[in-house]
Amino acid sequence: MARLKLNNLISKKEVTPLLSSFAASLASQFCIEDEKEKILFGNCDEQTHEYLLKSDDEILGKVRGDGNAERIAEFLNLLLYKESEKKKLGTEVLNLYQELNFIFNFSEKLAQLIEPDAIAQTALNEAQHLISSTSGVVVLFDEAHIRLNLLASSGGINFSEDDFNEHGSLLLQLAASGQSEIISDAPTLQNIQSSQAQSIIYASLKVNQRVMGAIILFNQGFGQYTAGDLKLLTTLALQSSSAINSALLYEKNIREAREREEAMRRIHEITVKFVPREFIRSLGKEVITDVRLGDQVEREVTVLFSDIRDFTTLSEQMTPAENFFFVSSFNELMGPIIRRHNGFINQYLGDAIMAIFPGSAVDAVAAAVEMQLALNEFNNERKIKNQLPIQIGIGMHTGPLIMGITGDELRLDATTISDTVNTAARIENLTKHFKCGVILTNETLQQLSQTEKYKLRHLGLVKVKGKKNLLSIHECFSGNTELQFQMKLSTLNIFSDGMSFYLDKSFEKAATAFQNVIDADAADLTAKIFLRKATKYLNAVVPEDWMAVEENLNS
Amino acid sequence: MQQKLLIVDDEAHIRMLIEQTLEELEDNDVEFLSADNGEKALEIISEEKPHLVFLDVMMPKMNGMEVCRRVKKELGLNDVYIVLLTAKGQELDRQKGQEVGADVYMTKPFDPEVLLKKAKEVLSIE
Repeated sequence: MARLKLNNLISKKEVTPLLSSFAASLASQFCIEDEKEKILFGNCDEQTHEYLLKSDDEILGKVRGDGNAERIAEFLNLLLYKESEKKKLGTEVLNLYQELNFIFNFSEKLAQLIEPDAIAQTALNEAQHLISSTSGVVVLFDEAHIRLNLLASSGGINFSEDDFNEHGSLLLQLAASGQSEIISDAPTLQNIQSSQAQSIIYASLKVNQRVMGAIILFNQGFGQYTAGDLKLLTTLALQSSSAINSALLYEKNIREAREREEAMRRIHEITVKFVPREFIRSLGKEVITDVRLGDQVEREVTVLFSDIRDFTTLSEQMTPAENFFFVSSFNELMGPIIRRHNGFINQYLGDAIMAIFPGSAVDAVAAAVEMQLALNEFNNERKIKNQLPIQIGIGMHTGPLIMGITGDELRLDATTISDTVNTAARIENLTKHFKCGVILTNETLQQLSQTEKYKLRHLGLVKVKGKKNLLSIHECFSGNTELQFQMKLSTLNIFSDGMSFYLDKSFEKAATAFQNVIDADAADLTAKIFLRKATKYLNAVVPEDWMAVEENLNS
Repeated sequence: MQQKLLIVDDEAHIRMLIEQTLEELEDNDVEFLSADNGEKALEIISEEKPHLVFLDVMMPKMNGMEVCRRVKKELGLNDVYIVLLTAKGQELDRQKGQEVGADVYMTKPFDPEVLLKKAKEVLSIE
């Protein structure tokens, strides 16, 4: 509060005229001087008496004159007293107002923050701006572990682990106390060597009577903290407590929500591995949780079966673990190829794969060829390791299929029910008989728009187990090794001729043609099969209604 | 020459507050005048022609906007620097304040430091 000045009072518009009229009516001279004897009013020559003018025991000047001057002094002292009271009140109002203004601004700042450490840092900065200190911290009291967590700091003090965790350490005591105090006695302060503080002021952070922690300011100089400082820091702590608490809760909620989301994501991720997404989508559902018992859909698909040849023999040479590892690495190789061609794996059945292609059959054939090519690579690697090559058979058939959710209330399964699946499995089995890698039915072939892209050989008609209708089947050799492919391509016309003669019951011509193929390519085992068949019929009586059908080849 | 400063607010504690905030100006030979309503304010302004007026908007009898309009538009006292004070949340008054010719506009609760700085600036006091 600024000092009262006598001059300011006397020069007031309402005071000066009063003094003049007093001077006139008293018929006696008086003068007013300030504390430095500078004349502020009247004439000061030959005055006999002097009377002091004071405010709060401080001499501001005097009135000089005759005895009557005493009345003037009393009057002025009364005005000074009133003026002083008014100023004191004004100062108090201003202080209160500044506090209010500070809280208002501080709340506004806090309202814009959502991170606990940002709130703590703002509170600390504000505290240091208002209360002189060399450094400060905001700490949270971890009740469960009886230790402190640093939320914000400034002034660069490096606290030791002990300051924060040691049972009974001063900082821990302060933060857990729930009090707000000033500490300036040296022995106590020596407990926190690292702060080098001469005095400490701290205020507790509390929410609903629960002690959260504290704001602590350190002063390395000799200045003393005042009760006013403590009041300010307490106000600040009160304001920030609930903000920090809300922010911590918010952070916790977000974290938990994220964890739940993450758990859901992992569950979802694993479920789509068990039940392919395409399966769910085919049922017209987005996520597996939408699926209900009895959901089903019928559509035309191409089913692909793949099986490792002589797996039994192969697996006998391996331990169960090696077996499992082998099948896994094989499936890991083939799975992505199927997915890349818009198919999905309906089931892994040991060494066999059953895949469904809901789109065009072209996808299935492309996948089969690529699987064969990938196998060739796989075998090249095996060869380097002195391992025998693996052979697979792939069979495909296109037809209607029902996908659905079967089971009971407590145990559901994603199932396919279809004759198409059985047929595809039978076709796959035929690859053993015909000694070729990939066989597809006419139903599949009909969906291929660019047949020239895939090299095919007609293998005649078959009647598979459990099926009344005859199936026309074709070998696709596009996935053969480069050498095999070139040989089959160069003999393709002769082979086709042979097949035409064969179906035409011209077994002699057929045998000659197949022999020609074998002469050119001794490794063409399929041609050898047909040579044997043709030769057999050559010496047998063939019924009139012979349809060149191969029956019960699967048994 | 002595400079004059007028504080106009119908609330006594606000007048006291502004006066206290600007206390140190007294030492720079600034005379403080005050008024508790618009009519009185207009009277003092036309008589004393203060250099700076802190003028509350919400007042009985004649509101601050009207006082400002008369001073600037009718009396043509463009040398009287008028700071309009309005309550927080009445920021829409800002445009209206400009229309009636106010020089600057501040919201209550005001920041004492900002208020003092403004006064010093207008009265050219270091």
